[in-house]
Amino acid sequence: MIIIGEKLNGSIPGMAKAIEAKDEARIKELARMQTAAGADYLDVCASVQVDQEVDTLKWILDLVQGASDLPICLDSPSAETLVKALPFCQRTGIVNSVSGEGNKIDLIFPAIANTEWGCVALLCDDRGIPKSVEQRMEIFEAIMKRAKEFNIAPSRLYIDPLVITLSTDETALTVFAECTRQIKALYPEIHITSGLSNISFGLPARKLINMAFMVLAVGAGMDSAIVDPTNRDMLGLIYATEALMERDEYCLEFIGAYKEGRIGPPLESRKK
Amino acid sequence: MSKIQEIAAVVEAGKSKEIEALVKAALDEGVAPLEILNVGMIGAMDVVGAKFQKEEIFIPEMLVAARCMKKGVDVLKPHLGETGGAMIGKAVIGTVAGDLHDIGKNLVSMMIESAGFEVNDLGVDVPAEKFVEAAEADEGINLVAVSALLTTTMPAMKATVAALNASKARGRFKVLVGGAPITEGFCKEIGADAYSPDAGAAAQKAKSLV
Repeated sequence: MIIIGEKLNGSIPGMAKAIEAKDEARIKELARMQTAAGADYLDVCASVQVDQEVDTLKWILDLVQGASDLPICLDSPSAETLVKALPFCQRTGIVNSVSGEGNKIDLIFPAIANTEWGCVALLCDDRGIPKSVEQRMEIFEAIMKRAKEFNIAPSRLYIDPLVITLSTDETALTVFAECTRQIKALYPEIHITSGLSNISFGLPARKLINMAFMVLAVGAGMDSAIVDPTNRDMLGLIYATEALMERDEYCLEFIGAYKEGRIGPPLESRKK
Repeated sequence: MSKIQEIAAVVEAGKSKEIEALVKAALDEGVAPLEILNVGMIGAMDVVGAKFQKEEIFIPEMLVAARCMKKGVDVLKPHLGETGGAMIGKAVIGTVAGDLHDIGKNLVSMMIESAGFEVNDLGVDVPAEKFVEAAEADEGINLVAVSALLTTTMPAMKATVAALNASKARGRFKVLVGGAPITEGFCKEIGADAYSPDAGAAAQKAKSLV
């Protein structure tokens, strides 16, 4: 499972405050916490107005890369911003994201063509997020065609089939899961990823929906997630589900994470 | 419980199966159609919106309540006369150019409609000119609601509000803005009349504006 730590995102109120207050210590702390929890990448999203975005990203990236050796998942809704901010990243990371929308692919795929950078690709286009599996798969095929043009191997792609809110559409998970299964059947080496904030929007006890989503999505073949790695319950659930899906030989990953104290009861609370 | 109270309770609970018969029964009893609409339905949706804001109810419950009201209004419509009766105004709503998000906009559209507005929903990715055109096209328009969900489309919201502010019909309508990255401060900065953080508040704001 490839864990992309979600906490350095300016659309989360705490991080927005840290950006606004130029709270360097807090940003470094968020980077360190997620690194210690076992994240593989750190998502960095400024979520500020467009004219300040590149400068803000540079400032956050310098802080984060001073506090953690993890590669960055560079996150912006603006393709122009992403291309401008790429050089600020010290290690090969993941661009988040392209989609079938506008000229995003035209800008980003050439910029990462001759690199090892990964790229998140959302299955939406200029029509929005399609309702049906068939339409999302059409967008997927179009993205794969473009990836081939730029020699971007499937293993570098993180497809996000997109989850909409369950509270307004009962098919939110089932459509996601079916896309995941079909994509994995076509390209076993491709990655499937998703964030978790959308699915439970507008419902009470959102944690429960998020956790059930995680199990079902991983069950369908999702092998990456943009989550809070310091959420022990969620992380434990990911490891457990992977083991149950035959993706963790001898359950060694699960046991290892337990022994490191990253899942299950915290180390200090365990009997000696 | 009076028929009106029963209707309000059924709308609030979103019991779509019961609403048609109940509205018919109320009409048969001689209850004024306008009263059914204003007190029984719009009144109930006020309560729904307020409860949603306090997190006493959740989005799906708001959806079923609005769906229930819509069914009731269908029964009521032929009895309301040509004007549609109690309409407190006409609204234009849409998501700004470059932004394809419609979930929030749809909820607001539904709640504004349930508050007694006739709604012209322009959909997503709506250019500023189209907002202006729609606002100017109908003398009755007194509200324009503009949605943006991305930081990248906030400039499009600014441009849309600027275009609306330059409209010759600006004196006749108010401009309401909302969406995840939007704040009260941004609303003031771009010269909109009001900001709303959620669909329940949007309906209330809409009513107070016109």
